Amino acid sequence: MTLICRSVAFSYNARTILDDISFQVEKGVFCAILGRNGSGKTTLLHCLNGILKPACGNIFVDGLDLGRISQAQIARHVSMVPQEHTDIFPFSVIDCIVMGRTPFLKMTQSPGPAEYRMAMDALHTLNAEYLAERNYNQISGGERQIALLARALLQSSATILLDEPTNHLDFNNQYRMLSRMKRLCRKHNTRIIASMHDPNLAMMFSDQVVMLKQGRIIAQGKTKTVMTESSVGELYDTETQKIGLPDSVNIFLPADIVRENILSKNEDPLP
Amino acid sequence: MKKSPVCNPEPAVNIVHNTRYTTGLLMFLLVGLFFFSLMVGRLEIRLSEIWTFACASLFGTPVPPELSSKALVFTLIRFPRCLLAVFVGMGMSISGAVYQGLFRNPLVSPDILGVSAGCTFGAALGLILPGDSFMLVRVLSFVFGLAAVFLALGIARMIAVSPILVLVLAGLVVTSVFSAFLMILKYVSDPYNDLPAIVFWIMGSLNRVEWNDLYIIMPVIGGGLILIHILRYRLNVLSLGDLQTRSLGMNPTVYRIIFIMVSSLMVAVTVSTCGQVCWIGLVIPHIARTLVGPNHSKMIPVTLLIGGIFMLAADMLARSITAAELPVSIITALTGAPLFVYLLYKNRGSGWI
Repeated sequence: MTLICRSVAFSYNARTILDDISFQVEKGVFCAILGRNGSGKTTLLHCLNGILKPACGNIFVDGLDLGRISQAQIARHVSMVPQEHTDIFPFSVIDCIVMGRTPFLKMTQSPGPAEYRMAMDALHTLNAEYLAERNYNQISGGERQIALLARALLQSSATILLDEPTNHLDFNNQYRMLSRMKRLCRKHNTRIIASMHDPNLAMMFSDQVVMLKQGRIIAQGKTKTVMTESSVGELYDTETQKIGLPDSVNIFLPADIVRENILSKNEDPLP
Repeated sequence: MKKSPVCNPEPAVNIVHNTRYTTGLLMFLLVGLFFFSLMVGRLEIRLSEIWTFACASLFGTPVPPELSSKALVFTLIRFPRCLLAVFVGMGMSISGAVYQGLFRNPLVSPDILGVSAGCTFGAALGLILPGDSFMLVRVLSFVFGLAAVFLALGIARMIAVSPILVLVLAGLVVTSVFSAFLMILKYVSDPYNDLPAIVFWIMGSLNRVEWNDLYIIMPVIGGGLILIHILRYRLNVLSLGDLQTRSLGMNPTVYRIIFIMVSSLMVAVTVSTCGQVCWIGLVIPHIARTLVGPNHSKMIPVTLLIGGIFMLAADMLARSITAAELPVSIITALTGAPLFVYLLYKNRGSGWI
């Protein structure tokens, strides 16, 4: 049971976005895709979701060739938590979540009590039943991410793609969201592929890392082995220094910032 | 993570459940109003007489001679007109709901792609051309209405980025082009006969109805209503935007085309028969949303029923308020506009308006 991406390339109006992307992700693994803005992270996720068709290369999800099956079939195996947060009609949260069953419904079918029960179960898994009757437009960014994650669970808990899941989230919610995702990997054997902005969060939560730079993979593999000062430095085009914290947590910082000694440490300018 | 309750006078989702009662009540209202509007008018018809007429046309039982003129009024004018009002109201309001869902915008009415402008131009052309055939007016109106939509779709397809926005802009372009054509026609038309005819036609009225129109309108609108009712849940997903629609396994383009074609067909057939009927397509979906929430599974049937009721009532007013008949558009606009303001006020803060 593996997701295999084999020499995938994608270009948009003769501009190459992705070039020769190959990696694979096992079930139950949290894979982070790191890269700067415009490095092709979102495009790669859209290819994995069948929204975009790669110009060449193949993507196999648990033995299914995405290029050979319909969008509805893809949607039954791969779900997506999108980044966009535009307001929609003031649906209740449960109405939004139940849409995760869309690929399993016949064209003429509306979701019934069974689907709504599954939606409540998904919310229960995420400990967020209190959201069910709320207006989707009036809940916080963190709560929306929970709702979208519940929808993804309802759609396919086998593979969930997340497009910058911690964007727009505050400090607390970032960690809540990521630990929720991690728990899904461990408990439900979910394969999670998330594009992420912060290498330190990826370092703390992911099992596997794919580093994208200008549409190419510059490093990939286990998080512990791949995330080094040199690879992170190359990825973000800045010299990077790794700083060890207690409890064997490491964080990366741009080296010049560490050198210039402008981080708030001991000296205290406030009276 | 729990947030304190949001400061909102009326949460929009508190009445989402139990739409069965609402739907049942509305159905009852619609049937009741239908019979009531069969009875009122210049010529008052009693319920017992309606029964006699119904038996006469269904089983061929004889109509008493003193009722024969009433029977003619009933079967040739009153009954088809009320039927038309129900179909037109349902068709226009459903098209409005569909377009608002598709374009993810509550301020959209069914003529956003230029159907009405095309229809109006076609009708004006038919009125100016020699000959007195109303059939020609209707056919031209219908053809130009659909041509306008195809033109808008074609332009949007040619540009092909950000489909929703482009569709709106293309609709704007097509509408203004056809309005300009209409102005040319008005300018060159004979100011004593043709110009008033065009103006009255645009105002819209149900009084020109004949059974022949209903034989076209009933299958077109009826079929459209059934199709949209069957596919209504898909509007929920489409309203999330193209990206999420795709990731939920649906092809947004295919569904968009189906919905646009069906709705445009319904609007074109309506406008080519009764002229422009303002506000129904805009206001009725809002009433439905206020009553049962935005979920299209529940909201589409309610929209349908309210549309029928509203149009039936508006037409009843139009033919009984004054001795001479008022154009029904005046009634729908005068009642629809204040109602719309009220709904905007009531739903403020639900994150949508």
